Amino acid sequence: MTIFKSVSVVFLSAAILVGCQRNAPESVNAAEVQAKPAKPAAATAKPRLPTDPQQPASPSPATVAPATPTGQPAANAQGSATLEFHNRIKEYLKIHNEAETKVPNLKNTNDPAQISEREAALAKTIQTLRAGAKLGDIFAPEYQPYFIKIVQDDFATRSAAARKAIIVELPKNMKVDINTVYPTTLPLATFPPMLLRKLPDLPPELEYRLVGRSLILRDVKANLIVDILRDVVPTIPS
Amino acid sequence: MRNRTITIALILAAVVAIVAATRDQTRPGVPQMSAAGETAPPVGKDSVKFLVLGDTGTGDRGQYDTAVQAWKAHAVFPYEFAIMLGDNIYGSERPQDFKKKFETPYKPLLDANIPFYAALGNHDDPNQRYYKPFGMNGQRFYTYQKKDARFFALDSNYMDKDQQAWLEKELAASNSKWKIAYFHHPLYSSGATHGSEVDLRTIIEPLFKKHNVNVVFAGHEHFYERVKPQGGIYYFTAGGSAKLREGDIRSSNLTAKGFDTEQSFMVVELDGDVMRFQTISRSGKRVDSGEITRQNAGTQ
Repeated sequence: MTIFKSVSVVFLSAAILVGCQRNAPESVNAAEVQAKPAKPAAATAKPRLPTDPQQPASPSPATVAPATPTGQPAANAQGSATLEFHNRIKEYLKIHNEAETKVPNLKNTNDPAQISEREAALAKTIQTLRAGAKLGDIFAPEYQPYFIKIVQDDFATRSAAARKAIIVELPKNMKVDINTVYPTTLPLATFPPMLLRKLPDLPPELEYRLVGRSLILRDVKANLIVDILRDVVPTIPS
Repeated sequence: MRNRTITIALILAAVVAIVAATRDQTRPGVPQMSAAGETAPPVGKDSVKFLVLGDTGTGDRGQYDTAVQAWKAHAVFPYEFAIMLGDNIYGSERPQDFKKKFETPYKPLLDANIPFYAALGNHDDPNQRYYKPFGMNGQRFYTYQKKDARFFALDSNYMDKDQQAWLEKELAASNSKWKIAYFHHPLYSSGATHGSEVDLRTIIEPLFKKHNVNVVFAGHEHFYERVKPQGGIYYFTAGGSAKLREGDIRSSNLTAKGFDTEQSFMVVELDGDVMRFQTISRSGKRVDSGEITRQNAGTQ
């Protein structure tokens, strides 16, 4: 019995420790946000469709930072992450738009060669302009826990069957790398619409996709992988 | 020796007979249609007639045989245009793939100037929207009018807020007698491989109901299924125009009719307040047909 108790205590301690580690990035973010000057809530709040029934009327406690000493509401972690994400998207769009000016316009055509050649040319130009691109250029490392949490919370709300239905359709054993072309022979798995609602909006030039366990940002016209957030999608429990 | 040969021949004949009988057997809980004649001509004089193809772009024998039947059906049922439910080009999308997986099998239709209006599937590069013969005019999602029917081609691979807002606006703005939506992923399906797209359904079904969409066509599942009306809307899955998932329809309460033993396509006629549909198999047999009265019949 004593041995059993000792083993239980060890396991319990380990579980608490793991739990603390998992929560650590979020705690760090919250602390960082508190240290920053307050911003108006409207400037940091993620824009939502007014008819969005999935969004709670008030933000969940996990995303709200305490008020500053002046009494003004502090920028929340979600708002800061979204703002920074959008800033980085804007920077990427500058490159995308510059690349667009260097390749012929894409128009309706009967010749599919024109489409694939243009797609390849645009990809190559962007690859050159972003030659030094690295993981986390868009998904800023300090805000990655925010994106991971959105995806994992979304999966947590789904039934095991629903999770499996999504995961089995994802392309697997596929090596994805930043600033490389998405393999044209592989399907683009459907992005779960309810999850899409929870992630920050993207301009039409970009889209989210899930590949294996990664969340990727894909340039639609260039078919280029812009950034990757790895190990986001949970595994199917055996 | 002679007796042995006869015995083996008898055993083989018995095996063949059993296999054939099993193949045609109706599975419990899955209402299957048996062949009932061939394509019937349209009824209405001034009706909207169209062809429904889904999951076509394999470039293999299944696609070619089905395409031949689709063209044969045109002689009897002169459809004016074709809708494609996605997975228009599987695998690589080189120029020769467009030829092999679209232009060659549907050459008679293209030569007859029958326009195609495609939706994107999960196997399609979204840049297909710039390929003129797919009729997408550079748009992932779009709408068009055919007499008193408005069609909404959606991109179910990526149902973002822009598309939802667009759909809401276009549905609200339409006074057409018929509102027909089509896209790749079925909101309701008895498929064992994929099944219903519940996530997507949560988002777009309320819009369909609110704005009186009458009929929805989808692909993705490589068979034919007519679903019992859901929330007053008629749903068809017709993703078996090239690939086939034989025996993939599970027994469920959703199915009104299912056909998963051969490739198939549909021909549809909108005639006043009535929609008539026929589902034709790869071997040219009519495997399902029927008539639907518009939900809000008698009104505009």
